[in-house]
Amino acid sequence: MESLNDLIYGFGIALDPMNLMYVFVGVFAGTLIGMLPGLGPISALALMIPITFNMSPASGLILMSGVYYGAIFGGSTSSILLNAPGVAGTVATSFDGYPMAKQGLAGKALAIAAYASFVGGTISVVGLMLIAPLLSKVAVSFGPAEYFALMVLGLTAVVSLSDKSLVKGLIAAVVGIMISIMGMDLQTGTERYTFDSIHMLEGIDFLVVALGIFALAEVFYMLLKGSNKPQERNVIGSLKLSKSEVKEIAAPIGRSSILGFFTGVLPGAGATIGSFLGYSMEKRLAKDGDTFGKGNIKGVAAPEAANNAACGGSFVPLLTLGVPGSGTTAVLLGALLVMGVTPGPMMLEQRPDVFWGVIASMYIGNIFLLVLNLPLIPYIARILDAPRPLLLALILIFCMIGVYGISFSTFDLLMLLLFGLIGLVMRLYGFPAAPLILGLILGALMEESMRRALQISGGEWSIFIDKPISLTLLAIALFSLTAPMIKTAIKRARSA
Amino acid sequence: MNAMLKRPMKTLMAVGVSLGLAVGFSATVSASDWKPTKAVEYIAPANPGGGWDTLVRTTANVIRAEGLSDQNFAAINVPGGGGAIAWAQIARDSKNDHKLFATSPPIILVPLSGTSRFNHKDFTPIARLITDYSIVLVRADSPYQTVNDLFDAIKNNSRLSVGGGSAAGSMDHISIAGAASVAGLKASDVNYIAFSGGGEAMTNLLGGHVEAVITGAGESLGQLEGSQLRALAVSSPERIQGALASVPTYQEQGIDYTFDIWRGVMGPKDMSPAAVTYYQDLFAKMMETDSWTEATTRLGWLDAYQNSEEFGVFLDEQLEQFSAVLGELGLLRQ
Repeated sequence: MESLNDLIYGFGIALDPMNLMYVFVGVFAGTLIGMLPGLGPISALALMIPITFNMSPASGLILMSGVYYGAIFGGSTSSILLNAPGVAGTVATSFDGYPMAKQGLAGKALAIAAYASFVGGTISVVGLMLIAPLLSKVAVSFGPAEYFALMVLGLTAVVSLSDKSLVKGLIAAVVGIMISIMGMDLQTGTERYTFDSIHMLEGIDFLVVALGIFALAEVFYMLLKGSNKPQERNVIGSLKLSKSEVKEIAAPIGRSSILGFFTGVLPGAGATIGSFLGYSMEKRLAKDGDTFGKGNIKGVAAPEAANNAACGGSFVPLLTLGVPGSGTTAVLLGALLVMGVTPGPMMLEQRPDVFWGVIASMYIGNIFLLVLNLPLIPYIARILDAPRPLLLALILIFCMIGVYGISFSTFDLLMLLLFGLIGLVMRLYGFPAAPLILGLILGALMEESMRRALQISGGEWSIFIDKPISLTLLAIALFSLTAPMIKTAIKRARSA
Repeated sequence: MNAMLKRPMKTLMAVGVSLGLAVGFSATVSASDWKPTKAVEYIAPANPGGGWDTLVRTTANVIRAEGLSDQNFAAINVPGGGGAIAWAQIARDSKNDHKLFATSPPIILVPLSGTSRFNHKDFTPIARLITDYSIVLVRADSPYQTVNDLFDAIKNNSRLSVGGGSAAGSMDHISIAGAASVAGLKASDVNYIAFSGGGEAMTNLLGGHVEAVITGAGESLGQLEGSQLRALAVSSPERIQGALASVPTYQEQGIDYTFDIWRGVMGPKDMSPAAVTYYQDLFAKMMETDSWTEATTRLGWLDAYQNSEEFGVFLDEQLEQFSAVLGELGLLRQ
């Protein structure tokens, strides 16, 4: 009841005409930023800090958070249409979204992404409103040992992500982990795999690899396999979902939203890991799991619900502890400090206007996003009508601009090309790309957490099973690895 | 309207300057006339939310609020390696007059511990601005009431973990290890856990994963407002006024130790002298404004301005001092 009163108070702030305009401008700008591959919300938000300086903290945060969740919402578009993830959180969306677009179902894939994003975003706002202070306890309960266990659990998804050959999937995952630890080690300052190059000190940005392995490799592949195939890409298809399709995606969206929200609450996990977890969970649960990766609608719905929910979840540590859980929320924290608000445990009491105003604005923002995006789909999807040479050139340009926008480094452009070639080779020899990306996302955090945990325990490995959360996560990981084997063993025993 | 008026003025000035140079009588004129012609990249070599980041955002903010520059000072975070990653990036861009970065003891400590190829001599000092102190925090329900309680516990339990937001051998580690050494322990007795930022160290303290955290006093203000944490000691010579007035110093608790976290601004190595003069004067002007006073009061900072030349001399002195301390602690790797 109390939170209802607070929410009404929050809507009082969010419905102020100026704040309504900020929500609209924020989500609109965010959608556009999200659609362009590479150009992520972090740089956009950093650029906006000067603009928000003279606003009230509530208005400033309403505008900036709008850009953030707007970008995650819009990021699916280029994942689906071009196989080029718009933001890191939408990489998993391309696994099934792009095959759908190739089959002439681009409209439907985009519509599913929009609905799933809307539901995921809204569920996370409800969670944020009802249990944010409680959840801050969950966020701090994750120490190094727990993070390590979570990363291990995440990595078991390699099994479900390697479609044909498990060995090739494992090879790809290990390469991904190796890429993730390139650069300077945070705990000792030692350089690893830097080949004595200054450019490698910083490691390799995630999006450089993702854009190379997915988008650029696709461009190269199309060039190689070239014109002997008739052009079949200019079908957008209907946006409408049949009743049975709605039924099919409803449960995955609900589950992935909740999973994504909790992943987002954990500092350091966030939308990218959330979307991968959602995707691999649904692939395992689905009866038609083997069609994931070939254009299954649940494979679009799950990661999109999860990444938008994670985005809402990431506001929990920010607003209740004053601790940023991701790069983007860190920029938001910086902006709040600049506006004279010090986020911390007392923020809810000291600045309820900021807390409840932002939460209320998220409800409005999500509705804006849905209303804004659905009618635009046919127009945006028309990019697929472009003649193939033009389209390929366009993808190439988008990727180059995106990568250069991250680091302003021409070296990274060469790395992009290199990963494009690696991606092509992987495709030609049947190595799946998804496990590599998964290893890349989880590897560094897993390693860092493990070393920290062991340093705290004085080298005792028991720390990983002494802690209940860590033990539970590791047990689930073990179970999900052995379950398929047990299943086949039982089947064999029965048939024998 | 404004912009239209400004443009011809600037062109005129540029013409004047180049004419002056051609005739050969005007190094001083051109020096005082240099102005940034585009947004200044203002780098915090760490994740947002930490000490460098707060310095960058606060100063950029005051400069903007007081209208001290026509150009935007754009805060950019380049995290990692205790700062070394940003330094490598800036060293690569040695002639850029539109690049600045926040600096503090790590620019000396990190190279000394052998983890950065670049040290303060690879950059141009612009100005020292402020000083902050480090603070030791525990959870409110912790059994340690004084910093001596904590050190006694460390003596008996070598695993007792103290988290910090910078790499091993860097500022936070040196600060606590130095204090422990003065308190009669071995510096290496402190089981220091390096996190990738002060914020991450703080969540780990709140969640009970580490026993104590060492961080900047200014950074800890938001957290100390709640009732979840207790501060055991601050490294200043005298108590800090304001919100932290109740926190005792090391010296009050019988440990003759202080640790300064001075903070300032540097630029790339080959920055033009005219630009250096412009920036050092800009920061001097900035520190006389009301917005600055308001910000420092809020953040618990103490003014400690030095211009480019003085700051350079000071940095060389710090290098000698830190080398001595690090050597004593067995952390000198260079």
